[in-house]
Amino acid sequence: MFHNKGLSLEQAPPISVVFRFFLVGAIFGVIEGIWILFQGKDAINAYSNTGLVTTHLFTLGIMLSFMLGALFQMLPVVAGVSFKEPVKRAIQTQYPTLFGTVTLLFGLYYDSALAYSIAGILLLIGIMPVAFEMLNRLIALPNHSASSRGMGFAIYGLIFTISLGLVLIAIRSGWSADYYPAIRDSHIAFGSIGWITLLIISVSFQVIEMFYVTKSFPKYISRYLPASIAFITTLLFVISLNSDITSNIFYFVLYLLTAIYSLVAIYRLIKRKRSVNDATVEFWLIGLSSLTLFSILGIIYSFDFNSLSILMAMKILFPVFATSIIFAMSYKIVPFLTWFHLNAQGYFKAPMMHEVINPKYAKIHLYIHLLSIFLAVISVSIPYFWHLTGAVIVISFGLLLVAIYRAWHIYIATEQSGEKFEF
Amino acid sequence: MQISNYLTNEHRECDNHFAEAEKLISQGNWQDGEKKFLEFADDTLRHFKKEEDELFPLFEEITGSSEGPTNVMRYEHEQVRGLFGKMAEAIEKKDKDIYLSLCESMMILLQQHNMKEEQMLYAMCDRVIPPQKKSEVIEKMEAVKE
Repeated sequence: MFHNKGLSLEQAPPISVVFRFFLVGAIFGVIEGIWILFQGKDAINAYSNTGLVTTHLFTLGIMLSFMLGALFQMLPVVAGVSFKEPVKRAIQTQYPTLFGTVTLLFGLYYDSALAYSIAGILLLIGIMPVAFEMLNRLIALPNHSASSRGMGFAIYGLIFTISLGLVLIAIRSGWSADYYPAIRDSHIAFGSIGWITLLIISVSFQVIEMFYVTKSFPKYISRYLPASIAFITTLLFVISLNSDITSNIFYFVLYLLTAIYSLVAIYRLIKRKRSVNDATVEFWLIGLSSLTLFSILGIIYSFDFNSLSILMAMKILFPVFATSIIFAMSYKIVPFLTWFHLNAQGYFKAPMMHEVINPKYAKIHLYIHLLSIFLAVISVSIPYFWHLTGAVIVISFGLLLVAIYRAWHIYIATEQSGEKFEF
Repeated sequence: MQISNYLTNEHRECDNHFAEAEKLISQGNWQDGEKKFLEFADDTLRHFKKEEDELFPLFEEITGSSEGPTNVMRYEHEQVRGLFGKMAEAIEKKDKDIYLSLCESMMILLQQHNMKEEQMLYAMCDRVIPPQKKSEVIEKMEAVKE
């Protein structure tokens, strides 16, 4: 039957639902910058407590916040999946996740079993109910688009990532550590590729075409790539529990798939019909180029697990890829939603997108972002530069935070003082 | 021919006109830009008319529902029509910034609308409308002038 609920942006959630997640994500970005500013090179040592804090500030604090906001916004639009009380649902998701993340960061830094237990419970009740509901609703859809199908696989990846994360904190709290390396590696594979990359890929099937007017992605990618990534990450988990089986070939295929996607996406963007060149196109190109390099290095790494220099480069490239896409998306979505919600309510003076965030502002952010990447690369050779990189990351996310806050302020001010048509 | 193929092709043609108009106006070529904009507006409005006068009533008759997706699509058509007026005004004033800003809104609004039609509504139409009626409605849509 028809799933007309959510067919319209009218049935998309109130703007506050999306903005609350984006604001928290940007705040975590600023905190991450401050953390790197003060911790310097220690913040980049992935398996140290300090490094684990950096990683989870990025994955749980920044990425999960932006991605939950994007899911709340996009699921009604692209798949007709909406929540009955979206504000209440967003709060029920965000607060436990937020406090769970902060508690986990304390737990990781001080290696505290009590903090791990509290964080585990909060993250479980914050993320799992909404993730399972989104997944169930997506599975039940009679018609799937490439994006809705991919989002389903990405949410499956999120559920796996969180589940394995909960096992890891149980192990760190003193449970049996028999499978610790296997579970840790699967947690990383699911979190980075099976969740974050796969959600970005799935969303891109829709938004690259929508924002820049490009040809659709080839069917062999849009239809089969998300399922393949989900399958391989699951397979990697299963075989990692059996140390007799080598996993190299599966990592090789996984990185090959992300490399193929990123090259096709770059080609699509370069061949776009819209010729206007704004900062968001460049953010996308930086992000996708980083994913290409990350994937190529991943292919090499899958045959040489001991190469620390390759691993280091991958650790820099992945956040560059993911944050670039976050910036690209935010500078389109935030002004569009502000304009759209006000316009749909009939306000005479609904600000246009360029009035909400001026394209020149996004361009300035682009240069700051490039500077942060440049400094991160230099920091590999001169570790002292990590402090400076942290400072630039603070400015970078600070700019995004200000942009989102100003958009919110414009929205509220127009709502309070603007004249509107009476429908 | 499937309804989805026929109408999806029209979406793509409109996209082409839109992109060309945007490019010309961003280069300051107001004369050719205006022509392309008018082609974009004409084609899009004709496309809406085909849906509203021919396809949606048939779909509603077969499914017995006039409160469903077609209603939402009509509402979104109205939003797009409103933006056409503002874009034409920006061209008249030769205000590039306003025109390009409106282009952003138009493109996202129109593309998300098109995607919903292509991925849900047209697929439903192809499924529920019998083959004979499908050919008839495509012929009727072909005959719609403006």
